[in-house]
Amino acid sequence: MPRLSKEDLKKIQQQHVENSALGDGGIRGKVIMHMGTCGITAGAESVMEALTDEIQKHNIRDVAISASGCAGLCGREPIATIEMQGCEPIKYCDLNDEKIRKIVVEHILEGVPALDFALPMKDEMPFYRLQESRVLRNIGYIDPEKINEYIARDGYSAAAKALHDMTAEEIITVVKDSGIRGRGGAGFPTGLKWEFASKSQAGQKYMLCNGDEGDPGAFMDRSVMEADPHSVIEGMIIGAKAIGSSKGVIYVRAEYPLAVKRLQLAIDACYEAGLLGNNILGSGFDFDLEIYLGAGAFVCGEETALMRSIEGKRGMPRPRPPFPAHKGLWDKPSVLNNVETLAQIAPILLKGVQWYRSVGTEKSPGTKVFCLAGAIKNVGLIEVPMGIPLRTIVYDIGGGMEKKRKFKAVQMGGPSGGCIPESILDTPVTYEDIVKTGAIMGSGGMVFMDDNNCMVSVAKFFLGFTSDESCGKCPPCRIGTRIMLDLLTDITEGRGKEGDVATLEDLSADIIATSLCGLGQTAPNPVLSTVRYFRDEYESHIKEQWCKAGICRNLCSFWIDENLCKGCGACLRGCPSKAIIGEKKQPHKIIQEVCVQCRSCFEACKFESIKILPAHYNGDPYELVGSSVAERQK
Amino acid sequence: MAEGPNILIVDDEAVVIKSAERILKGVGYSIDGALGGREAIMKIEHNDYDLVFTDLKMPEVDGITLIRWIKNSKPSLGIVIITGYPSQETMKDALEIGIIDYVPKPFTPAVLLDVTKRAEQWVVDKKPEKDTVAEAFPPSMLAEIDRIIYSYKDKPGSSIPVLQRCQEIVGYLPPFVQKRIARGLHIPPAEIHSIVSFYSFFTMKPRGDHTINVCLGTACYVKGIDSVLNKIKNVLKIDVGETTEDRVFSLEAVRCLGCCALAPVMIIDHDTHSSLTPKNVIGALNKYSPFPLETESLPAEETVTMGGVEEIISVEGKEG
Repeated sequence: MPRLSKEDLKKIQQQHVENSALGDGGIRGKVIMHMGTCGITAGAESVMEALTDEIQKHNIRDVAISASGCAGLCGREPIATIEMQGCEPIKYCDLNDEKIRKIVVEHILEGVPALDFALPMKDEMPFYRLQESRVLRNIGYIDPEKINEYIARDGYSAAAKALHDMTAEEIITVVKDSGIRGRGGAGFPTGLKWEFASKSQAGQKYMLCNGDEGDPGAFMDRSVMEADPHSVIEGMIIGAKAIGSSKGVIYVRAEYPLAVKRLQLAIDACYEAGLLGNNILGSGFDFDLEIYLGAGAFVCGEETALMRSIEGKRGMPRPRPPFPAHKGLWDKPSVLNNVETLAQIAPILLKGVQWYRSVGTEKSPGTKVFCLAGAIKNVGLIEVPMGIPLRTIVYDIGGGMEKKRKFKAVQMGGPSGGCIPESILDTPVTYEDIVKTGAIMGSGGMVFMDDNNCMVSVAKFFLGFTSDESCGKCPPCRIGTRIMLDLLTDITEGRGKEGDVATLEDLSADIIATSLCGLGQTAPNPVLSTVRYFRDEYESHIKEQWCKAGICRNLCSFWIDENLCKGCGACLRGCPSKAIIGEKKQPHKIIQEVCVQCRSCFEACKFESIKILPAHYNGDPYELVGSSVAERQK
Repeated sequence: MAEGPNILIVDDEAVVIKSAERILKGVGYSIDGALGGREAIMKIEHNDYDLVFTDLKMPEVDGITLIRWIKNSKPSLGIVIITGYPSQETMKDALEIGIIDYVPKPFTPAVLLDVTKRAEQWVVDKKPEKDTVAEAFPPSMLAEIDRIIYSYKDKPGSSIPVLQRCQEIVGYLPPFVQKRIARGLHIPPAEIHSIVSFYSFFTMKPRGDHTINVCLGTACYVKGIDSVLNKIKNVLKIDVGETTEDRVFSLEAVRCLGCCALAPVMIIDHDTHSSLTPKNVIGALNKYSPFPLETESLPAEETVTMGGVEEIISVEGKEG
């Protein structure tokens, strides 16, 4: 590809629109196979093979096949979108080789959509209807490995505008006025960050992108880098012009091989097309961009640690000030933006501040991408306007809990965040409101928990994570999190003492006040928020030796309510230690001495007849958890 | 090490040997004694020891001479010195030759146990390194390492990419490779080591043919990765961070693979396996294993209770 000029972008756009328009003479239909990490894992590659094979077999020449990124509904992958002339695009889900062959025959050859395998139309599905695609604007539509498809959807027009028609000050003003805030979690205004860096005087400045998505439970940055890498690169070019930088680095986790591959392909294509390197788009502006692979340290998501890591050292944070905008990478002024932030810079420049502020709230304008995971029905990637109540996300977009279980909490913000219970689900999603709940907006991971989850164990899980990932530089974080973890381990293993919860709260306050970086300052959040909303669980663990969810093995025993048991034998067949006895159609019984509290019976029972009691319980189970008198009489 | 290590205690005073023996035998070590350097050498030649505890001041063949001899003829043997007068000179000599630790004399049981435990750990850790020395690096591999170093030589901050690419080639980063990189990039070996030990991506232990990366992220945790991980540990009989004896599998835990929608997940080599359960995980492992791992096809069982006596009759048995 020759080096492009500003005018060439327009030409490519027009050409592409003409070529891809469905109509007589040209192509009659399009098939897009969604091939993100989740799709490929679910078997998209073999479905793709079957698809091309079937198309060839029937000698179909007027249908274009392409690969694209994630379709958002990760739990239903492999997904393919088929659009035929004169019809709305239809998404087919849960595909396999057999299904796709059938669909090719029915939909493409005979023209009758195979609705049995299809998702409802976009407008009919709350999952899609309530979303607003801005960051995810191209995801699922374009082939991330083809630069022309990105250009055809207004790609690099914003960069052209920024480089040719705008001054650095103008760009910063637009970004500042739009009110966009850093999507990495803390929500610092992006425009301000750029302004600080642009005012710093230095020979070399750096434009950096944080793709070290370490929060467990978050994968939106991976999806963006995999499915729309050019949007990140374009955001970086614009940022570089704004702060006056000629060098950029994208720091990506090594755990994301597909994202790394596609980013590299995108960067290579940009160099070839003159969108990176010297004299970009003939504007005289130079910008070099490279990828730097992380090496598996959570703390490297912290900006000063990330910069140390790029310098080839241990990724340990340092005290601020000086802020990176003055002294960052190699002690030069640097700006570090999150993937999601950068991906929405281009539309802001093209469509303006008004448009950006048309959704969201005054202080948190725009949209936010979230990943839904855990015990929810629609797991996947969503983008919603800021200010939407959490309840809408859980019950409308998320479709409620999996297997109709009871919602217990949603964990936001990963190891720095907290758990939000049912009672405050009407909280709107904005930076300020989420902080009030004790969680944080975070990068956007939402892990849902149902009544099968023990909140003390969840808190222990996160403390295990942070104490493991603490870089060890400052003692409050290194030692404090370890002591908290030990206390939580004691509680979950039945050695909890009265006063432990108070000690945890005291320790938390100290760690928050005295830690050096964000990792330590937020590490106690999961404990504080679970203590705040689920104090009764801590108490029952300590005082009654009772883990009501049946997760802490030392703190529970299982018992069959004979009035509810139908004698189906499901529990008995699954019991690994043969602790259950009983005749068919007669109530079964658990021999406590043999039971190892593995929960398999609890999960196997379809009649909710298995109840969880405190460990070594001697009282009458019916009084504690058993069926009511009315139920018994039935 | 199934049983405690074999330890030889060398001292010219029988009472020291006796008391050490009494302390260590109680916790499962097997102990032998020698009343001087000469006797020690004879015993070491004929028996297999893991550790030698020796006094420094002994008539005829003294401690330092004994240590030198051991280092020459049995370098894998771990050495701990027991001494009443740790003068700086003798300690310096001993450290230079390479001892693990020292026990001051007179010692309390706690001190002796503590030092022994540490020495034992050293011996355990040392074992794989012994393998790596034996395992010769093919010249082509070395040439490739040098080529990588050369291509990054003048780039600032290149240590991490170089280590990543070298690990890709060698599979792990033994001290030998780290030193070569340090020399090539003109960075102190200690700094290279500090980077390798900081980032979880790097490993100093040899890996198996297939690396299993089990995701311990929140979503996987909520969906029950614990039981899956335990199943893998039981079937392969290794813990996280270890490699099976036949060097087929290495088990690693990663924090989040970013595949939360498909939880619980693991990656073997480059393939992601999703929606794992303790049952289907074995099938996934079998795709990589040269021989089938535990085939868990328990026949469906039915329990019939007859007058208080329960019998478990398998369905198959009934039909037959």
